Amino acid sequence: MNAVDGSDHYNKTSDEPPPSLLTIILDTNAHAWALLAPTLPLSAAIANLLVFINAHLAFNNSNKVAIIASHTQRAEFLYPIPSEDDSRQANGSTHNGAQNGLDGDMNMTDGNEANYAATADDANHYRPFRHIQTTLLSAMSKLYKTTSPESLTPTTSIAGALTLALTYINKQSIAFSTTTSSKTNADPLLAPSDPNSIQPATLNPRILILSVSGDLAHQYIPIMNTIFACQRLTIPIDICKIAGDSVFLQQASDATHGTYIALTHPRGLLQYLMLGFLPDQSSRKYLVPPTAVGVDFRAACFCHRKVVDVGFVCSICLSIFCSPPEGAVCLTCGTYLQLGEYGGKPAVVAKRKKKRKKGADE
Amino acid sequence: MSASSLRSFEYLEGLPGTTFNRLYKQPSTALAIFRRMLPHLAKSFVMALLYISHPMPVTDLEAWVRPDGRRERDNAVNLLERLHILAAATNPGKPRAYALTNPFAASLRLALTGGGNHHSFGVPYSTSEEDTMSITDLDEFARRQWEGVLGYMVGSTGMNIASEGVTLSQGVKILLASGRLVEARGKTVDITKDGFAFILQEVNAQVWTMLILYLQNAESLNMDEVDVLAFLFMLGSLELGLPYSKANLTQTQANMLEDLGDFGIVYQASPDSSYFYPTRLATTLTSDAGGLRSSSFASPADNNRGFIVIETNYRVYAYTSSNLQIAILQLFARLITRYPNMVAGKVTRESIRRAVSMGITSDQIISYLTTHAHPQMAKNQPVLPPTVVDQIRLWQLEGDRMKATVGFLFKDFNSQAEFQAPCRYAEEIGVLVWKHEGQRKFFVTRHEQVAAYLRNKSGKGG
Repeated sequence: MNAVDGSDHYNKTSDEPPPSLLTIILDTNAHAWALLAPTLPLSAAIANLLVFINAHLAFNNSNKVAIIASHTQRAEFLYPIPSEDDSRQANGSTHNGAQNGLDGDMNMTDGNEANYAATADDANHYRPFRHIQTTLLSAMSKLYKTTSPESLTPTTSIAGALTLALTYINKQSIAFSTTTSSKTNADPLLAPSDPNSIQPATLNPRILILSVSGDLAHQYIPIMNTIFACQRLTIPIDICKIAGDSVFLQQASDATHGTYIALTHPRGLLQYLMLGFLPDQSSRKYLVPPTAVGVDFRAACFCHRKVVDVGFVCSICLSIFCSPPEGAVCLTCGTYLQLGEYGGKPAVVAKRKKKRKKGADE
Repeated sequence: MSASSLRSFEYLEGLPGTTFNRLYKQPSTALAIFRRMLPHLAKSFVMALLYISHPMPVTDLEAWVRPDGRRERDNAVNLLERLHILAAATNPGKPRAYALTNPFAASLRLALTGGGNHHSFGVPYSTSEEDTMSITDLDEFARRQWEGVLGYMVGSTGMNIASEGVTLSQGVKILLASGRLVEARGKTVDITKDGFAFILQEVNAQVWTMLILYLQNAESLNMDEVDVLAFLFMLGSLELGLPYSKANLTQTQANMLEDLGDFGIVYQASPDSSYFYPTRLATTLTSDAGGLRSSSFASPADNNRGFIVIETNYRVYAYTSSNLQIAILQLFARLITRYPNMVAGKVTRESIRRAVSMGITSDQIISYLTTHAHPQMAKNQPVLPPTVVDQIRLWQLEGDRMKATVGFLFKDFNSQAEFQAPCRYAEEIGVLVWKHEGQRKFFVTRHEQVAAYLRNKSGKGG
C-alpha cells in the first residue's frame, strides 16, 4: 500500500517474533481416560504435556501458557489458578473489593508472586518450569477430589473451556498491549478485527485442545460460536485428538487454520506435540502443516442435536433441522416456513429438456 | 534472529568444538543458548528432534519446510551446525540424517524435565527477613553501578557528570581500556569510536559486550572460560529478588562475583557474605529483546519509558534530568535549553557530522532515537519522522562513501557452470556479498561452508 512513498524502510520491523500465549484445553473426562489407560494413562499424558509446556516456555522468555480443564460438567483453570486471596477480598471486605471486584474480575496468580514459597527449592530445575509443574499437579488432584461420582457423565464441557480460553486470551492481550506502551489509547478489543491496523507488538495467541471424548453434538451451537469468535480474532485452534472422534473439532481447526492430528499411536503423544503443535504462528509460516485429510463438514440439527448429512434449513435464520419442524414453524426465529411440495417426485427434468429442444428448433 | 546476529555472539561461534562440549554439559547453558541464540525456526527444529529416537533423514526435514522457506531453513541448519548442536550423520546404507549432538540434547532434556544433580539453576539461600533486598533496591543498585560505568566513559566529552558516589574499581577501568572502549591518556580518559558505538547500544547488548570482553580477558586472569560462561548462563536463569547461595560455586565463579558486582550485575552485601542477589541486568541476560522492552530500566522514576521527542523540524525534546542521558544526547544533537525535567535541542548537520567523525554511525543514532522514543512518539507509524531519518543518513553519507566488509574472494573458475553452483549456494546460506558474472568472481563473509561445498563437489567429480 505504502510502496509509493517508500516509507517501508522507516518501519524498523522487529525480526524478533512476538511472544506467544498458548492456551491448552485438557479434556479431563474420566470415562474416556479410563478407556485409554492401557495405552496412555492420564498421568503419562500429563507428564508429556508438562515437557511440552516447558518446551513452549523455553522458546521465548516472554511466552505464556494457560491450562484449562474441560471437565465432565464444568471447565476450570488449572494454571494459572485464580488466587484465593482475591476472591476472599471481593467477598469479605467491601473496601478492597471495590478495587478488584468492580467488574467481577479476578486476579490470576502467575509465576512471580508469593506462591513460590510453597514450591520446594531445587537447584536442578528451572524455577518457572518447576512452578508450573507443582501448580498443575495440585490443581489436577484438587479437580478430581472435588468430582463426585454422580457428576461423572461421559461428556466434557469443551464449549465452556473454549469460552474461558477466549476470555483469558482477551485479558492477556489487553494487559500485554498496555505494558508494551506502544499502544496506549487504542482499544485493544477493536484492534484484532481490523485487518488494516498495524500492531507493533501483539501477543500471538493460540489454543490447543487435547481431546479424548467423542461427539459433542449437544454443545453444537456454543462450540460453533466460539469457533467463529476465534476465526474473527485469528486465533488458531489446534486439535490433538487422542481418542474418539468428533465432527466439530475438525471444523474448528479447519475454520481457524489450526492443525488437526488424530493420534494413531497415543503412546507417542510427546513427539506428536513437539513436532506438530510446538511451532507457533511465526514458524508455521515456513513449515508444511501436518495435513488433515478430509474435514467432516456435517452439522448438528438444532432440534435433536443429531449430526445430519442432509437437513432442512430455515430460509430466514439458517437454523438446521433434521426433519421439518412441527407446524412448519422455525424453532429459532418463529418464521412460518412454506415447505412447498416436499416429498413430491421431481419429475420436471424431462419436461424442461423437451421445452429447450423446442426453443432451439424455432 | 537479531539475537544471533549480535556482534558479541560471534565470539561464541568461534569457540572450538571441545569447549562447546564442556559448556553443554550444564543444562542451564543448553537452555540459555537455545533460548537466546537460535532463530525461531531453528528452535522448532531442535524441539522436533529432541525426543525422536532415530536421526531424521535430511529429506524429511526438507519436506517439512515450505519451498519458500528454504533460505530460512538453510540459515537455521547452518547456525545449528556452527554451534555444534546439530550434526548430519551418514551411515553406510542409510540416507543422510540429522541428529542433535549429545551433551546438548541430554542437557536440554534435563532442563525441560528437571532432575539430575547439576545445581546449574542456582541454589537459593534463605536469609533472615531484615537482610532481604527488595527488587526496587536491586534495580536502583544496578542502575547506579551501570550508569557509573557509562558515566566514566562519557565523562571525557566535556559534560561534567556527577559520579553519584560510584567508585569504579581498577579492574573495570582496565577492562574498558583493554577492550579499547576508552583510551587512558595520563589522568584523563578519552572515549574511542568503539566506545561511542557501545554507549548507544541497548542495555542488554551493552552488558553482553562487556561480558564478552570480560571473557576474553579471563584467560589472562587464569580463569577457565567454560567456567565463566557457564556461570553467566546460570545467572540468566536465576530469579530476580531472591538470594542465592555461594556454596556451590567454583573458585573462579566466586572471584567473578566481585567483578560482576562492580558492573551492577550481581549484588552482595559484602565480599565475604555467603549469598548474592542477581539484579535485573543478570536475569535478563538470556531474555530476548521482546522480554527486555517491558522490563529493562534506565531511569527509575519513569520506568524507562522513552523520553525523546523529535519533530520534523529536527527539534529534539528530551524529558530527562539524568546527566548521563543528556551527555549521550549531546553526542549528536546541539542542546539549546535546559529545564529541570527536560532539555531541548536540535539535530543539525554540524552535530551529526561531528558525531560521525567521532565514529558514531547514523544507524546507531536512529536506533537510539527509536528505542528511546517518547510513548507519544512511539504511537506513530513509523516512529521517527521519515525526513529526519533520511536526513541523518544523508549527512553521514556526505562523509563516507565506502563500506568495508571483511571476507573472502573466490575467483578463477574454469567454467560458468562451475562458478554458478557455489555462487548460488553462497547466496542461499546468506554469506554472499558481491558477485561478478563476467569475471567469475564472488565475495563472501564466511568461507568454511563454501569451501566444504567446493571440496564435496570436486570430490564427487574426480
